[in-house]
Amino acid sequence: MQGNSKSRILFIALSVFGLILILFFGMRVLRAFKKFDRQHPPPFAGELQTDVEAIEEWMTIPFISHNYGVPPDVLFDALGIEPKDKDNFKKSLEQLNEEYFPDADGYVLTTVKATILAHQPPPTPILPQNTP
Amino acid sequence: MSDYFLTQVLNYGAPLFALTLFLGAVGLPVGASLMVIAVGAFSQQGYFDWVMMAAVGLLGALLGDSLSFGMGHYGKDWVRAHLSSSPAWSNALAQFNNRAWAAVFFTRFLITALAIPTNLIAGGSGYPFRRFMLYDLLGEATWILLYGGLGYLFGSQWEVVNEFMSNFGGLLLGVVVLIFGVRQAVVRQTKK
Repeated sequence: MQGNSKSRILFIALSVFGLILILFFGMRVLRAFKKFDRQHPPPFAGELQTDVEAIEEWMTIPFISHNYGVPPDVLFDALGIEPKDKDNFKKSLEQLNEEYFPDADGYVLTTVKATILAHQPPPTPILPQNTP
Repeated sequence: MSDYFLTQVLNYGAPLFALTLFLGAVGLPVGASLMVIAVGAFSQQGYFDWVMMAAVGLLGALLGDSLSFGMGHYGKDWVRAHLSSSPAWSNALAQFNNRAWAAVFFTRFLITALAIPTNLIAGGSGYPFRRFMLYDLLGEATWILLYGGLGYLFGSQWEVVNEFMSNFGGLLLGVVVLIFGVRQAVVRQTKK
Protein backbone atom coordinates (compact mmCIF):
# COMPACT_ATOMS: atom_id res chain seq x y z
CA MET A 1 0.00 0.00 0.00
CA GLN A 2 2.79 2.37 1.00
CA GLY A 3 4.79 1.36 -2.11
CA ASN A 4 1.78 2.15 -4.28
CA SER A 5 1.45 5.60 -2.72
CA LYS A 6 5.19 6.23 -3.16
CA SER A 7 5.09 5.37 -6.84
CA ARG A 8 2.00 7.55 -7.27
CA ILE A 9 3.93 10.51 -5.90
CA LEU A 10 6.79 9.61 -8.25
CA PHE A 11 4.47 9.63 -11.27
CA ILE A 12 2.86 12.91 -10.22
CA ALA A 13 6.37 14.42 -9.97
CA LEU A 14 7.10 12.99 -13.42
CA SER A 15 3.94 14.67 -14.79
CA VAL A 16 5.01 18.01 -13.29
CA PHE A 17 8.45 17.55 -14.86
CA GLY A 18 6.74 16.85 -18.22
CA LEU A 19 4.74 20.05 -17.83
CA ILE A 20 7.91 22.04 -17.10
CA LEU A 21 9.54 20.57 -20.23
CA ILE A 22 6.49 21.53 -22.31
CA LEU A 23 6.56 25.12 -21.04
CA PHE A 24 10.33 25.49 -21.41
CA PHE A 25 10.63 24.02 -24.91
CA GLY A 26 7.28 25.48 -26.02
CA MET A 27 8.60 29.00 -25.40
CA ARG A 28 11.80 28.20 -27.28
CA VAL A 29 9.87 26.70 -30.23
CA LEU A 30 7.83 29.91 -30.46
CA ARG A 31 10.97 32.06 -30.30
CA ALA A 32 12.65 30.00 -33.05
CA PHE A 33 9.49 30.19 -35.16
CA LYS A 34 9.45 33.99 -34.91
CA LYS A 35 13.07 34.11 -36.10
CA PHE A 36 12.04 32.73 -39.51
CA ASP A 37 10.22 36.01 -40.19
CA ARG A 38 13.22 38.15 -39.29
CA GLN A 39 15.69 36.30 -41.53
CA HIS A 40 16.47 37.14 -45.14
CA PRO A 41 14.95 34.63 -47.55
CA PRO A 42 17.55 32.00 -48.54
CA PRO A 43 18.97 32.15 -52.10
CA PHE A 44 17.56 29.65 -54.58
CA ALA A 45 19.67 26.60 -55.44
CA GLY A 46 22.52 27.66 -57.74
CA GLU A 47 22.25 31.34 -56.79
CA LEU A 48 25.11 33.02 -54.98
CA GLN A 49 24.79 33.97 -51.34
CA THR A 50 24.92 37.74 -50.76
CA ASP A 51 24.30 38.21 -47.03
CA VAL A 52 27.79 38.42 -45.46
CA GLU A 53 26.28 38.24 -41.97
CA ALA A 54 25.73 34.53 -42.65
CA ILE A 55 29.52 33.96 -42.61
CA GLU A 56 30.66 32.23 -39.42
CA GLU A 57 33.97 31.38 -37.84
CA TRP A 58 33.72 27.59 -38.36
CA MET A 59 33.55 28.06 -42.16
CA THR A 60 36.56 27.46 -44.40
CA ILE A 61 37.79 29.79 -47.15
CA PRO A 62 36.89 27.36 -50.02
CA PHE A 63 33.34 27.00 -48.64
CA ILE A 64 32.84 30.76 -48.35
CA SER A 65 34.40 31.21 -51.78
CA HIS A 66 31.97 28.66 -53.28
CA ASN A 67 28.89 30.27 -51.69
CA TYR A 68 29.74 33.90 -52.45
CA GLY A 69 31.47 33.48 -55.80
CA VAL A 70 34.69 35.18 -54.72
CA PRO A 71 37.89 33.22 -55.60
CA PRO A 72 39.80 31.82 -52.58
CA ASP A 73 43.02 33.55 -53.70
CA VAL A 74 41.32 36.96 -53.36
CA LEU A 75 40.34 36.15 -49.77
CA PHE A 76 43.80 34.80 -48.86
CA ASP A 77 45.44 37.86 -50.47
CA ALA A 78 43.25 40.18 -48.40
CA LEU A 79 44.37 38.35 -45.25
CA GLY A 80 48.00 38.28 -46.35
CA ILE A 81 48.12 34.51 -45.87
CA GLU A 82 49.73 32.01 -48.23
CA PRO A 83 46.95 29.57 -49.24
CA LYS A 84 49.10 26.49 -49.69
CA ASP A 85 51.08 27.12 -46.54
CA LYS A 86 50.28 24.64 -43.74
CA ASP A 87 47.13 23.42 -45.43
CA ASN A 88 45.27 26.69 -44.89
CA PHE A 89 42.45 25.60 -47.20
CA LYS A 90 41.25 23.18 -44.53
CA LYS A 91 41.34 25.60 -41.61
CA SER A 92 38.32 27.42 -40.27
CA LEU A 93 38.36 31.23 -40.02
CA GLU A 94 38.76 30.83 -36.27
CA GLN A 95 41.83 28.59 -36.68
CA LEU A 96 43.38 31.02 -39.17
CA ASN A 97 42.78 33.88 -36.74
CA GLU A 98 44.36 31.98 -33.83
CA GLU A 99 47.38 31.04 -35.92
CA TYR A 100 48.12 34.25 -37.83
CA PHE A 101 46.45 37.04 -35.81
CA PRO A 102 46.36 35.84 -32.19
CA ASP A 103 46.24 39.40 -30.86
CA ALA A 104 43.41 40.61 -33.13
CA ASP A 105 40.23 38.80 -32.13
CA GLY A 106 37.75 38.45 -35.04
CA TYR A 107 40.14 40.03 -37.58
CA VAL A 108 39.85 37.20 -40.14
CA LEU A 109 36.04 37.15 -40.02
CA THR A 110 35.79 40.93 -40.43
CA THR A 111 38.34 41.02 -43.26
CA VAL A 112 36.66 38.16 -45.14
CA LYS A 113 33.26 39.88 -44.87
CA ALA A 114 34.69 43.20 -46.08
CA THR A 115 36.54 41.53 -48.99
CA ILE A 116 33.42 39.72 -50.11
CA LEU A 117 31.38 42.92 -50.00
CA ALA A 118 34.05 44.65 -52.12
CA HIS A 119 34.21 41.85 -54.71
CA GLN A 120 30.56 40.93 -55.09
CA PRO A 121 29.01 41.59 -58.50
CA PRO A 122 26.64 44.60 -58.36
CA PRO A 123 22.95 43.67 -58.16
CA THR A 124 21.11 43.71 -61.49
CA PRO A 125 18.63 46.65 -61.55
CA ILE A 126 15.00 45.65 -62.06
CA LEU A 127 13.41 47.83 -64.74
CA PRO A 128 9.70 48.67 -64.61
CA GLN A 129 7.56 46.57 -66.99
CA ASN A 130 6.02 49.41 -69.07
CA THR A 131 9.04 51.61 -69.65
CA PRO A 132 8.44 53.76 -72.77
CA MET B 1 32.21 20.49 -30.65
CA SER B 2 29.57 20.89 -33.37
CA ASP B 3 31.59 23.75 -34.91
CA TYR B 4 34.64 21.49 -35.13
CA PHE B 5 32.63 18.74 -36.84
CA LEU B 6 31.01 21.25 -39.23
CA THR B 7 34.47 22.40 -40.38
CA GLN B 8 35.64 18.82 -40.81
CA VAL B 9 32.51 17.86 -42.77
CA LEU B 10 33.27 20.75 -45.15
CA ASN B 11 36.81 19.39 -45.55
CA TYR B 12 36.21 15.65 -45.75
CA GLY B 13 32.57 15.39 -46.91
CA ALA B 14 30.68 12.09 -46.85
CA PRO B 15 33.08 9.93 -44.74
CA LEU B 16 33.17 12.51 -41.95
CA PHE B 17 29.39 12.94 -42.15
CA ALA B 18 28.93 9.18 -41.76
CA LEU B 19 31.37 9.12 -38.84
CA THR B 20 29.50 11.96 -37.11
CA LEU B 21 26.16 10.17 -37.43
CA PHE B 22 27.80 6.94 -36.23
CA LEU B 23 29.18 8.68 -33.13
CA GLY B 24 25.83 10.37 -32.52
CA ALA B 25 24.06 6.99 -32.71
CA VAL B 26 26.31 5.52 -30.00
CA GLY B 27 25.50 8.45 -27.74
CA LEU B 28 28.30 10.99 -28.20
CA PRO B 29 27.15 14.62 -28.18
CA VAL B 30 28.36 15.55 -31.67
CA GLY B 31 25.20 17.40 -32.77
CA ALA B 32 24.10 14.77 -35.31
CA SER B 33 20.71 16.38 -36.06
CA LEU B 34 22.38 19.75 -36.57
CA MET B 35 24.80 18.08 -38.97
CA VAL B 36 21.98 16.51 -41.03
CA ILE B 37 20.21 19.89 -41.35
CA ALA B 38 23.51 21.63 -42.19
CA VAL B 39 24.44 19.06 -44.85
CA GLY B 40 20.97 19.51 -46.39
CA ALA B 41 21.65 23.27 -46.58
CA PHE B 42 25.17 22.78 -48.01
CA SER B 43 23.72 20.46 -50.66
CA GLN B 44 21.22 23.15 -51.61
CA GLN B 45 24.16 25.51 -52.04
CA GLY B 46 25.73 22.95 -54.41
CA TYR B 47 28.60 22.04 -52.08
CA PHE B 48 27.62 18.37 -51.66
CA ASP B 49 25.70 15.75 -53.62
CA TRP B 50 22.67 15.17 -51.38
CA VAL B 51 21.98 11.59 -52.60
CA MET B 52 25.51 10.48 -51.76
CA MET B 53 25.47 12.28 -48.40
CA ALA B 54 22.07 10.82 -47.46
CA ALA B 55 23.13 7.27 -48.36
CA VAL B 56 26.46 7.40 -46.55
CA GLY B 57 24.96 9.21 -43.54
CA LEU B 58 22.23 6.58 -43.28
CA LEU B 59 24.86 3.85 -43.27
CA GLY B 60 26.77 5.58 -40.45
CA ALA B 61 23.62 5.99 -38.36
CA LEU B 62 22.58 2.35 -38.87
CA LEU B 63 26.02 1.09 -37.86
CA GLY B 64 25.95 3.23 -34.72
CA ASP B 65 22.46 2.00 -33.80
CA SER B 66 23.57 -1.61 -34.34
CA LEU B 67 26.48 -1.02 -31.98
CA SER B 68 24.30 0.46 -29.23
CA PHE B 69 21.78 -2.38 -29.75
CA GLY B 70 24.73 -4.77 -29.37
CA MET B 71 25.83 -3.04 -26.15
CA GLY B 72 22.35 -3.63 -24.75
CA HIS B 73 22.36 -7.23 -25.98
CA TYR B 74 25.74 -8.17 -24.55
CA GLY B 75 25.18 -6.23 -21.35
CA LYS B 76 21.81 -7.81 -20.59
CA ASP B 77 23.23 -10.29 -18.03
CA TRP B 78 24.70 -7.43 -16.06
CA VAL B 79 21.44 -5.49 -16.34
CA ARG B 80 19.42 -8.52 -15.19
CA ALA B 81 21.69 -9.01 -12.22
CA HIS B 82 21.48 -5.38 -11.15
CA LEU B 83 18.10 -4.11 -12.31
CA SER B 84 15.73 -7.08 -12.58
CA SER B 85 14.22 -6.26 -9.16
CA SER B 86 13.73 -2.57 -10.03
CA PRO B 87 10.08 -1.72 -10.81
CA ALA B 88 11.20 1.19 -13.01
CA TRP B 89 13.23 -1.15 -15.23
CA SER B 90 10.40 -3.71 -15.43
CA ASN B 91 8.02 -0.89 -16.29
CA ALA B 92 10.34 0.43 -19.03
CA LEU B 93 10.62 -3.09 -20.49
CA ALA B 94 6.86 -3.61 -20.40
CA GLN B 95 6.26 -0.23 -22.08
CA PHE B 96 8.85 -1.03 -24.74
CA ASN B 97 7.41 -4.50 -25.47
CA ASN B 98 3.94 -3.01 -25.87
CA ARG B 99 4.88 -0.78 -28.81
CA ALA B 100 8.44 -1.68 -29.70
CA TRP B 101 8.13 -0.72 -33.38
CA ALA B 102 6.75 2.73 -32.53
CA ALA B 103 9.46 3.28 -29.90
CA VAL B 104 12.24 2.43 -32.37
CA PHE B 105 10.69 4.32 -35.30
CA PHE B 106 9.68 7.56 -33.56
CA THR B 107 12.77 7.94 -31.38
CA ARG B 108 14.89 8.15 -34.57
CA PHE B 109 13.47 11.53 -35.60
CA LEU B 110 10.81 12.83 -33.22
CA ILE B 111 12.01 12.22 -29.66
CA THR B 112 15.69 11.73 -30.43
CA ALA B 113 16.70 12.16 -26.76
CA LEU B 114 15.25 8.67 -26.16
CA ALA B 115 17.00 6.96 -29.10
CA ILE B 116 19.99 5.57 -27.17
CA PRO B 117 17.94 4.26 -24.19
CA THR B 118 15.57 2.65 -26.72
CA ASN B 119 18.48 0.91 -28.49
CA LEU B 120 19.85 -0.36 -25.18
CA ILE B 121 16.45 -1.59 -24.00
CA ALA B 122 15.80 -3.24 -27.40
CA GLY B 123 19.15 -5.04 -27.25
CA GLY B 124 18.74 -5.96 -23.58
CA SER B 125 15.17 -7.22 -23.89
CA GLY B 126 15.95 -9.80 -26.55
CA TYR B 127 14.03 -7.92 -29.26
CA PRO B 128 14.84 -9.54 -32.66
CA PHE B 129 17.73 -7.69 -34.34
CA ARG B 130 16.27 -7.94 -37.86
CA ARG B 131 12.99 -6.39 -36.78
CA PHE B 132 14.89 -3.68 -34.90
CA MET B 133 16.90 -2.94 -38.03
CA LEU B 134 13.78 -2.68 -40.18
CA TYR B 135 12.16 -0.01 -37.98
CA ASP B 136 15.55 1.59 -37.39
CA LEU B 137 16.10 1.88 -41.15
CA LEU B 138 12.66 3.43 -41.67
CA GLY B 139 13.14 5.85 -38.78
CA GLU B 140 16.67 6.92 -39.69
CA ALA B 141 15.70 7.36 -43.36
CA THR B 142 12.79 9.57 -42.23
CA TRP B 143 15.17 11.53 -39.97
CA ILE B 144 17.69 12.16 -42.74
CA LEU B 145 15.08 13.01 -45.37
CA LEU B 146 13.01 15.19 -43.04
CA TYR B 147 15.82 17.11 -41.32
CA GLY B 148 18.07 17.18 -44.40
CA GLY B 149 15.06 18.20 -46.51
CA LEU B 150 14.31 21.10 -44.17
CA GLY B 151 17.96 22.18 -44.35
CA TYR B 152 17.76 21.96 -48.15
CA LEU B 153 14.51 23.93 -48.24
CA PHE B 154 15.62 26.70 -45.89
CA GLY B 155 19.24 26.90 -47.13
CA SER B 156 21.21 29.53 -45.26
CA GLN B 157 18.54 29.65 -42.51
CA TRP B 158 19.48 26.12 -41.44
CA GLU B 159 20.59 27.22 -37.97
CA VAL B 160 17.11 28.54 -37.21
CA VAL B 161 15.68 25.25 -38.51
CA ASN B 162 17.99 23.39 -36.12
CA GLU B 163 16.93 25.59 -33.20
CA PHE B 164 13.29 24.97 -34.05
CA MET B 165 13.64 21.19 -34.50
CA SER B 166 15.73 20.56 -31.39
CA ASN B 167 13.29 22.51 -29.21
CA PHE B 168 10.33 20.82 -30.90
CA GLY B 169 11.88 17.47 -29.94
CA GLY B 170 12.14 18.68 -26.33
CA LEU B 171 8.50 19.78 -26.45
CA LEU B 172 7.40 16.33 -27.65
CA LEU B 173 9.52 14.69 -24.96
CA GLY B 174 7.64 16.80 -22.39
CA VAL B 175 4.30 15.67 -23.87
CA VAL B 176 5.37 12.00 -23.69
CA VAL B 177 6.62 12.36 -20.08
CA LEU B 178 3.40 14.14 -19.06
CA ILE B 179 1.10 11.56 -20.67
CA PHE B 180 3.11 8.67 -19.20
CA GLY B 181 3.18 10.24 -15.71
CA VAL B 182 -0.55 11.08 -15.67
CA ARG B 183 -1.52 7.63 -16.99
CA GLN B 184 0.58 5.79 -14.42
CA ALA B 185 -0.65 8.02 -11.57
CA VAL B 186 -4.28 7.39 -12.60
CA VAL B 187 -3.66 3.60 -12.87
CA ARG B 188 -2.21 3.58 -9.35
CA GLN B 189 -5.10 5.67 -8.04
CA THR B 190 -7.64 3.22 -9.54
CA LYS B 191 -5.80 0.20 -8.11
CA LYS B 192 -5.99 1.80 -4.68
